[in-house]
Amino acid sequence: MVTSRIISGLCLIILLLLWQFAVMSGFLKPFQFPPPSRIGEAIVELAVSGFPNGERIWTHVGITLWRIIQGYVLAIGLAVPIGLLIGTIAVLDKLTLPIITFLRSVATLSLLPLVIIWFGTGELTKVLLIAYGCFWAMLSNVIAGVKYVDPVMIRAARTLDTRPLAMFVRVVIPAALPRMFAGARMALGVGFMVIVGAEMIGTIQGLGALIMEARTFYRSDITIVGMLFIGLLGFTITSGLSWLETILLPWSKGLSEVRR
Amino acid sequence: MTTSVRWQDAVLGAAGTGGLFLLWELASRSGLVSTNVFPAPTTAIIGTLQTVPLADILGHVWTSLGRIFWGFALGAVLGTVIGIASGWYRALGVLTRPLIELLRPIPPLAWIPLAIIWFGLGEPSKVFVIFLGAFFPIVTSAYRGMIGIDPALLRVGQTMGLRGPMLLIRVAVPAAMPDLATGIRIGWGLSFGVLVAAELIAADRGMGFMIMNARQLGDVDVIVFGIILIGAINLITDYAIGAVIRRRIGRWHAI
Repeated sequence: MVTSRIISGLCLIILLLLWQFAVMSGFLKPFQFPPPSRIGEAIVELAVSGFPNGERIWTHVGITLWRIIQGYVLAIGLAVPIGLLIGTIAVLDKLTLPIITFLRSVATLSLLPLVIIWFGTGELTKVLLIAYGCFWAMLSNVIAGVKYVDPVMIRAARTLDTRPLAMFVRVVIPAALPRMFAGARMALGVGFMVIVGAEMIGTIQGLGALIMEARTFYRSDITIVGMLFIGLLGFTITSGLSWLETILLPWSKGLSEVRR
Repeated sequence: MTTSVRWQDAVLGAAGTGGLFLLWELASRSGLVSTNVFPAPTTAIIGTLQTVPLADILGHVWTSLGRIFWGFALGAVLGTVIGIASGWYRALGVLTRPLIELLRPIPPLAWIPLAIIWFGLGEPSKVFVIFLGAFFPIVTSAYRGMIGIDPALLRVGQTMGLRGPMLLIRVAVPAAMPDLATGIRIGWGLSFGVLVAAELIAADRGMGFMIMNARQLGDVDVIVFGIILIGAINLITDYAIGAVIRRRIGRWHAI
């Protein structure tokens, strides 16, 4: 395991070196394939003087993060109670199933023009778009989590004369939590996907905007830095969420099924 | 599940959907919500069909479907081949995994500027971004499916005299199919989400262009119509893919 990691790392380093030499020897054009050395310089430039208009990389990261957090928290905060309600009441589930299936299929970014007409190109538009995407990913997982609680557990709890409220709090919710966490992770992925599209319009702050702005200034190196940072940000948060899950939900070992 | 229960479910679902549409329609007609801001579904559909020729709408749909087809097909084929190959041949896995793991967290839309620099403003750049949307989930799930194969299956295959490529094709690939199928569905959904954004930028045709253009003209009817259209096509195609998968793979694996 460790040796294969070392080999993997070496492969990456060799690839980067090859890339560098390919550009230096004139085989690849530096504008189309900015070499690793240029990307390194661009990182320094972004950290020290900033781009565009002196916005430093930390501002971009912070703003993107803040937009995602707002939309994400809004979505989770709405999806959990609504999902618990729909998942518990079978009739409600049947009534809403086609609606939820359809609204989930609506491409979040196709709402962009409509939301712009409603709320302009400001912060609210971006936050709402992220919230929309995250909401449906979370909602369907909360509903599924509650709906597909192992009936054996419910029956066992009934045998022990558990009251309805205790049943819900002590049996249904803990059993549904792994699935809810899977939904939370999916929703986060959606959020990162939507943010880039949402930041393409009406802003010069945020990683999505940085990536797009850099193109208009023919700075492909900065575009790549922006991509690396958004990838890194997504990766860090997703890993953090998985880690949180192993700590908070030690009983969720059958999750490999859900994780697919 | 008995037929009567299924019927009951369908009726309840239809009732819920109908109720929602009725509310939306009423809110719009009674003037509670302005039609210039959020038209009722009927207003949007009729308004669009009156202002935009049907041939134009079909043209946009056709263009978008063409892009998504090529992008997705490319992503599905390359993702499947690379995923399965790197799961089967360990040396290849050591080479490809770090690169894929490094690039995977980057949202497909973030590639748009590079796609334009590499491929220009034409069709290939859009197809490339859609390709990325499909490729990463599919390659990852194909790889996971391969390394998650029950070793007993492979050993049984070997006992039966299967070696090398035959073992791969007859035992390993079918065993990895359920995972691959999940990846394909996720990839399709993602390609669809990416499609619209790819068309919002520098396109002169396609459904994404249609709604973005309608924004500039202030035509809310077309926007709402377009959103419903894109959602409906996504839903129908996803359902079709799901049905094919269930029919093919459902035989040896319950999904």
